[in-house]
Amino acid sequence: MNRKKGDKGFESPRPYAFIYFYFYFFSYTTHQVVCINNINFQRKSVVGFVELTIFPTVTNLNRIKLNSKQCRIYRVRINDLEAAFIYNDPTLEVCHNESKQRNLNYFSNAYAAAVSAVDPDAGNGELCIKVPSELWKHVDELKVLKIHINFSLDQPKGGLHFVVPNVEGSMAERGAHVFSCGYQNSTRFWFPCVDSYSELCTWKLEFTVDAAMVAVSNGDLVETVYTHDMRKKTFHYMLTIPTAASNISLAIGPFEILVDPYMHEVTHFCLPQLLPLLKHTTSYLHEVFEFYEEILTCRYPYSCFKTVFIDEAYVEVAAYASMSIFSTNLLHSAMIIDETPLTRRCLAQSLAQQFFGCFISRMSWSDEWVLKGISGYIYGLWMKKTFGVNEYRHWIKEELDKIVAYELKTGGVLLHPIFGGGKEKDNPASHLHFSIKHPHTLSWEYYTMFQCKAHLVMRLIENRISMEFMLQVFNKLLSLASTASSQKFQSHMWSQMLVSTYGFLKSISNVSGKDIQPLIKQWVDQSGVVKFYGSFAFNRKRNVLELEIKQDYTSPGTQKYVGPLKVTVQELDGSFNHTLQIEENSLKHDIPCHSKSRRNKKKKIPLMNGEEVDMDLSAMDADSPLLWIRIDPDMSVLRKVEFEQADFMWQYQLRYERDVVAQQESILALEKFPTPASRLALTDILEQEQCFYRVRMSACFCLAKIANSMVSTWTGPPAMKSLFTRMFCCKTCPNIVKTNNFMSFQSYFLQKTMPVAMALLRDVHNLCPKEVLTFILDLIKYNDNRKNKFSDNYYRAEMIDALANSVTPAVSVNNEVRTLDNLNPDVRLILEEITRFLNMEKLLPSYRHTITVSCLKAIRVLQKNGHVPSDPCLFRSYAEYGHFVDIRIAALEAVVDYTKVDRSYEDLQWLLNMIQTDPVPYVRHKILNMLTKNPPFTKNMESPLCNEALVDQLWKLMNSGTAHDWRLRCGAVDLYFTLFGLSRPSCLPLPELGLVLNLKEKKAVLNPTIIPEAIASNQETFSNSQDEEEIDMDTVHDSQAFISHHLNMLERPSTPGKNSMLHEHHHHHHHEHKKKKKKHKHKHKHKHKHDSKDKDKEPFSFSSPASGRSVRSPSLSD
Amino acid sequence: MADAAAGASGSGTRSGSKQSTNPADNYHLARRRTLQVVVSSLLTEAGFESAEKASVETLTEMLQSYISEIGRSAKSYCEHTARTQPTLSDIVVTLVEMGFNVDTLPAYAKRSQRMVITAPPVTNQPVTPKALTAGQNRPHPPHIPSHFPEFPDPHTYIKTPTYREPVSDYQVLREKAASQRRDVERALTRFMAKTGETQTLFKDDVSTFPLIAARPFTIPYLTALLPSELEMQQMEETDSSEQDEQTDTENLALHISTDDSGAEKENTSVLQQNPALSGSRNGEESIIDNPYLRPVKKPKIRRKKSLS
Repeated sequence: MNRKKGDKGFESPRPYAFIYFYFYFFSYTTHQVVCINNINFQRKSVVGFVELTIFPTVTNLNRIKLNSKQCRIYRVRINDLEAAFIYNDPTLEVCHNESKQRNLNYFSNAYAAAVSAVDPDAGNGELCIKVPSELWKHVDELKVLKIHINFSLDQPKGGLHFVVPNVEGSMAERGAHVFSCGYQNSTRFWFPCVDSYSELCTWKLEFTVDAAMVAVSNGDLVETVYTHDMRKKTFHYMLTIPTAASNISLAIGPFEILVDPYMHEVTHFCLPQLLPLLKHTTSYLHEVFEFYEEILTCRYPYSCFKTVFIDEAYVEVAAYASMSIFSTNLLHSAMIIDETPLTRRCLAQSLAQQFFGCFISRMSWSDEWVLKGISGYIYGLWMKKTFGVNEYRHWIKEELDKIVAYELKTGGVLLHPIFGGGKEKDNPASHLHFSIKHPHTLSWEYYTMFQCKAHLVMRLIENRISMEFMLQVFNKLLSLASTASSQKFQSHMWSQMLVSTYGFLKSISNVSGKDIQPLIKQWVDQSGVVKFYGSFAFNRKRNVLELEIKQDYTSPGTQKYVGPLKVTVQELDGSFNHTLQIEENSLKHDIPCHSKSRRNKKKKIPLMNGEEVDMDLSAMDADSPLLWIRIDPDMSVLRKVEFEQADFMWQYQLRYERDVVAQQESILALEKFPTPASRLALTDILEQEQCFYRVRMSACFCLAKIANSMVSTWTGPPAMKSLFTRMFCCKTCPNIVKTNNFMSFQSYFLQKTMPVAMALLRDVHNLCPKEVLTFILDLIKYNDNRKNKFSDNYYRAEMIDALANSVTPAVSVNNEVRTLDNLNPDVRLILEEITRFLNMEKLLPSYRHTITVSCLKAIRVLQKNGHVPSDPCLFRSYAEYGHFVDIRIAALEAVVDYTKVDRSYEDLQWLLNMIQTDPVPYVRHKILNMLTKNPPFTKNMESPLCNEALVDQLWKLMNSGTAHDWRLRCGAVDLYFTLFGLSRPSCLPLPELGLVLNLKEKKAVLNPTIIPEAIASNQETFSNSQDEEEIDMDTVHDSQAFISHHLNMLERPSTPGKNSMLHEHHHHHHHEHKKKKKKHKHKHKHKHKHDSKDKDKEPFSFSSPASGRSVRSPSLSD
Repeated sequence: MADAAAGASGSGTRSGSKQSTNPADNYHLARRRTLQVVVSSLLTEAGFESAEKASVETLTEMLQSYISEIGRSAKSYCEHTARTQPTLSDIVVTLVEMGFNVDTLPAYAKRSQRMVITAPPVTNQPVTPKALTAGQNRPHPPHIPSHFPEFPDPHTYIKTPTYREPVSDYQVLREKAASQRRDVERALTRFMAKTGETQTLFKDDVSTFPLIAARPFTIPYLTALLPSELEMQQMEETDSSEQDEQTDTENLALHISTDDSGAEKENTSVLQQNPALSGSRNGEESIIDNPYLRPVKKPKIRRKKSLS
């Protein structure tokens, strides 16, 4: 209640923000015991019980709802009295009893409703326990209830993952293990609990396992005791820090144990035989600990920390209270270069989440961004310290580009969604094909981007209030939480361990005294990014730079930016920062220049960082003192900037600007200026040792593009060749590469990249020059790693990538069949190498099989270009379970691509089958993901693959086939959306009855007999108009719109007419969006009413899925 | 003694050059032959006309033993009295000890029918042929005492290098190494492909680009993650010297961990290759209190009761 009061004081347009939090809660859990006394690896089953200690907060509490999925519940007792219970999980099958409804809009709404119906934050759950009448009096006195639930789990499909290698020996010898996994709150999959991040309690966890196994779980290992027969042992864990059920995890296996030599409270676990790798991989962890503890001025909150490396991981990194579960594939030896920074990043990421995410949990789903933001932000600080400012800025730029691209593509990522009092229609993300009201309905890609945006926004807040204040805020949150955690149960104290958007913002304003409300409003409470277009003119008379900055705020995913914008101008006399005020109607900004144009005087030019350099100014415009201009150089707006300046300005920027982001931007811009000057600038950068290696790497690719654009005027050897020779080849024999020495990582990365970029070069016939191919083949031939301290597997893999890059489409004469005889001689050489590499991998496998992965990709490239017959058999065999996961993914990617290019129904079926049956959840998720990224067809495309059976199959997959894995189900929804769009798939027959009925309602006089004809003659029109439908999510539910739509369609059969109509509709749509929120809401309300009125008349039920379903759902009761 | 007998018996049949070369053997044979002559004359004296070889041999053996025993005993007696040369009295005491009536000896020596045996011919000491010397033996250097054996002949240790123009051209060497490796790899993979299952990229041709068939592993991550033996070996070869340095610096880092982090702050290069942990920890582990290292407890008695 006090929370609600507090909310009022905060000026935020969120009157309902916390209403549903605790509002529906009739009880608190204070302590939970989880005891798993039997784990059977052979049968993949688990038997155990849980015991929840619950305090009722209201009298007449007669039902208690808990979360539980796929568990078989045998018996429920409350205070030793048998209690009746009902098990009902509406998410098992989202849409019931409907035969032909295949509309994604309908599904998404139904799915969101189903998830709501079991949402613990709303006091719901799958398991409903009736309090025995004998206890009612007890409850009325608000006394403690102990709920004891016996359950078992048989062959779980989600939540717990068993890995049981099929070899001889005992389970421990085989390396069999099991671990908990899942996306967001997935603990309900393996034991009954209140599966919410906001319901904290203390834990006692007991696991009885085989004597050769180790059970790793949260909290302190109190003791390990043999069972009576001495064949098993029981691990007793106590977690006294209040923790949400969703942060509880488990890993059991024959792990090798390594106590961290620097921090004895930290224990690492890995699978048998990998101990040397574990030692090396975790040897760095203590530094991450030190870093976080130092910046947060707070000790690591838990008394111990455990890292477990397991096979077939669900995600690479999963953080839980006091333990993290990693993929075993992150382990590496000291010889591996490329994996080292990646693994360290994963370790650092998981540790950041220990503080924010595990120790401090969230109040509700809409506060998720704070946790992800803070953990991502401090992880960024770690990156800056560890890998340097350049790497950090490059990373920020990369993340910014990603989020901008995603938002522009999909229409926005909303960090802090506000959901009005349960009104389904009030959807803040109507542009998306899924509901963002629950984490479980989110597309995985959206969630990834959500995390990315969250940490970028944290950085924006830091820019506004300074890092010092930022860290103070974090410290405050942590110290409040740690005070609260040490208290005995007092619910209001424990809630200090939950972070809310409101609480976070309040801390910020308390600590910094600054008002960051506009910033929050812009980036947190609303979605979209800013798109700037900039151009300039120099007014010589006034010595003024006339800068024009336009914005696009009408396309999807954009928003209007109003506020300060930093512009940096590099002039002859130095670099100057200007802060412009971007306002509603001002496009032009006059910036006075400091220096007169006087390039005759030879003088050093001061740069931003105080450095003074000599420049060759001959390329400059004689009248202008401007060297280059940058808009928003600090990336303090989530934006995309398209800025126009002359090529020489970009070249100066590349050469002399010290910021890696600026260099990267200029490289990107120079692609459009294929001139000798650009070439020179890029080559100079390539040669500069001090230059950041990633900039040099991207310069390689840009140089290749420029060389291709100016192929007719290019002089000298192929781009980069002489450079490579000078840097990496022997002085005496320039065609032979030096024996490998990767001690300098910068040049290692450059050496790896240059051939890959060179292979992209094309001659006038659009073929890869023979010289380049020979050069790459020589690199492979003379590659000698004997004297190297590091493994060259990544280097060799990139050489194969280079070979693949050099492949150009085969010249084919009337579609002849590809045989060995007509094989291009160059391709023959390439195939020779690939064959040898791939075969050698079988005898001497490389780390993570990088070479096999590259070979498979290269073979697919050869197939696609028509040199080798297109055939998925090879890839299918590599995609099978039992290969290393990287190989499988590469092979599956090739099959997905084949399915698209060859429109193979059989292979699509094979893939879909794998999605349903593969033992590894990550692979299943990945197939869906790859199919979505590279779909066999899209919604407007004619394809033989698109048929009713496929629709049914996919519908079934997302409706009921993926109920055990949130991520997979959302992946299936994504694929369905990509293939068919939001509305009814066009390959399905029209629901004719509905159409007729609608027509009647509209009182349109139409001869029913012409309908099929009209449809038949306008197939294309129809599919297009459906596309248009999905612009507004509500249209389909709005029968009026539906009717008018179809009428329009029938009235305007010809194509030109349709176009104009489309335009109109589009316009209308935008207009609607521009309306103020209240009106919008009102409109929705209206619609809603209308909808319910129509409901009865409609032939197919549009009724609210959640309400209708519970009656029909199969309930599992004792 | 048995050896001597065996040698004697074999001597008649064998006249191998091996025996004659050994002067000790020669002496042995001569003595034996003399003894045989003595035995034979004694037998003749006693009235035998002929005797089997075996009996002559046995008697010879007995005689030899007797004389040897006299010698041995006489030597013992003389040494007993701290002398090195036996005297007549020693011999007498010996004979007495052996139960021989010494008084009868002069009479026996002067018996009439005794036969006199001529002394065995004294052969000249055979001259050891001079070994072929090749060059002058090196004299001992001053620090080696002169009683040590001489240096062996120079030809046993002197080397005479012969020169052939070695391939030192870098390009050729690299070329050779590369093609050699490639040939080996190709031969090996072809062999593997020929002997096992294969996959192919061209349906009509299975031999030009044979791919060893993909074979799933039961535990795929092991082969993917663990460095191959070849790599391990390579690593040991390349940085055995560096590793020593590493452990040194690492131990330092352990002691001054705070300074270390500060130093590394400046060193914000692309990656910081942290050295692998060495065995320094192994000793410590015994004192580390980590719950996972504690012994597993025995089940409580209370439990037992409830079970029984």
